[in-house]
Amino acid sequence: MNRDEDGIFAEALRWHADTLRDDMDWDGFTAWLEADARHAAAYDAVALGDALIDEHRGHLAGAAAENRHANDDADAAPVPATPAPPVVVRRGWMRWAGMAIAASLAAVLVAPQIMPPPPQVYTTSADSRTVALEDGSSVLLAPHSTLSIEGRHQQRMALSGGAWFDIRHDPSRALAITAGGVEIGDIGTRFDVQEAAGKVRVEVAEGEVQVSAAPLAQPIRLVEGRGLVYDGKGGTAVVRPLGAEAIGEWRQGRLSFDGAPLLLVAADLSRYAGLRVTVAPGLRDRAFSGTLVIGDGEAALRDLSQVLGVDLRRGPDGLVLDERR
Amino acid sequence: MGLGNDAEADRAAGGLTGLLAGHRAELLRFLAARCGDAGEAQDLLQDLWIKASAHADGPIANGRAYLFRMANNLVLDRRRAQHRAMRRDHQWLDETAGGAAPVEDRPDPSPAADAEIERREEADMLHRAIAALPPGAQRALRLHRIEGRPQAEVAEIMGISRSGVEKHLAVAMKHLRNALADCGYAPGAASHAQGQAGGDVPRSDLRP
Repeated sequence: MNRDEDGIFAEALRWHADTLRDDMDWDGFTAWLEADARHAAAYDAVALGDALIDEHRGHLAGAAAENRHANDDADAAPVPATPAPPVVVRRGWMRWAGMAIAASLAAVLVAPQIMPPPPQVYTTSADSRTVALEDGSSVLLAPHSTLSIEGRHQQRMALSGGAWFDIRHDPSRALAITAGGVEIGDIGTRFDVQEAAGKVRVEVAEGEVQVSAAPLAQPIRLVEGRGLVYDGKGGTAVVRPLGAEAIGEWRQGRLSFDGAPLLLVAADLSRYAGLRVTVAPGLRDRAFSGTLVIGDGEAALRDLSQVLGVDLRRGPDGLVLDERR
Repeated sequence: MGLGNDAEADRAAGGLTGLLAGHRAELLRFLAARCGDAGEAQDLLQDLWIKASAHADGPIANGRAYLFRMANNLVLDRRRAQHRAMRRDHQWLDETAGGAAPVEDRPDPSPAADAEIERREEADMLHRAIAALPPGAQRALRLHRIEGRPQAEVAEIMGISRSGVEKHLAVAMKHLRNALADCGYAPGAASHAQGQAGGDVPRSDLRP
């Protein structure tokens, strides 16, 4: 019986993985669901668990340290044997968040004296989401991305994934955003940040920012209409001019690339079109220039494979861009 | 390339809604099987229609699969909303029963703050649930689903077969389901009664 249930879960997992494929056997899936009431229940559990993991991946993967910082007790006791401490912590946090979001000046002044505000963490799954900051600035967080905001004046942010920032310039506030090894500071502007495939792209639509990273000899000043690509592996950064309309273009459902390595293009498509795409090792540095429409991700990917003359095939874990044989 | 591509056919059929009309019966049957309730399936089909008509015109490669995927996602979205609501109720009961702080001591968070808290709690809960998984299942889940490694690579790292990885992942998902149900998050297996085993066309009168 138990073994049987594991078998059902394994089948549900296989169906679930297949739902991303164009040649998914939907009739077969329907028949499988109809065959046994436990099938739908198992599939539900698999799909839900998967969606939860997807949504919180940032938190689960990289944020162990941040989690510790925010919620010492809960993290120190990963086995949920003693529910009491996390509840206490949570309540304190709830109180803080309630007041802070109410934007009451008194609350903002009082709460930090009791304890440093824990980071606010925003995570998106398939849809983007606007995060409003207390000073009227806003961040549009791209799909499958995580933004954590810390500090009394929300002055420290960490991004994984992509986001469009519309930040009011406030010289009295030293706002800093970290993303994949770079720190963006001295901000008062509208700009886009994409962190994917070991690279960070910063593109400024208005105003200017300063980008620094440990391997760079000095910070780079990036002005309106310029974009920077930082390569974490080589520790190098390249600055180039951009068309204003190309900056933050994902908001309009397009992705433009100018000599971007295929690995990066695939990472962007995975994020914005909700596909799982991997690139064969030999192709990762193939350059691509052009614009992809992300409304139908698979079509975009097919266009891409045709333009580059590479193969697009189904792998066990989604689509694979591979060298033509 | 082995990719199904009937974009031409789909274009001719008058966009997504035309395509939906053509595949209505199959989609309804799928939705009924997927959510185990014929009435809910009708409802979801309406939602699907609305979504499809809002979809910008343009060629869609393999529109049928696209519609099924949309339908599948609709069910998932709805389940998630239901489970979140259930969890809220559960939690409220917990707090009132557990002699928590008087209600007036707890400021009403704004809806935005509320959602954020929920998200945070959900993440913490998931974190704990994963930490409590059996070691093999936990490792496989982390490598595959959190670090995003292909199953073949996970098999290599763990020194086991592909099917061994699949088994670990199945165990992980099963445990996760149970752990989340214990937290009042998911309703467990039995909450949506599934009444259509054996019936090839699910109808509401087949349900208990």
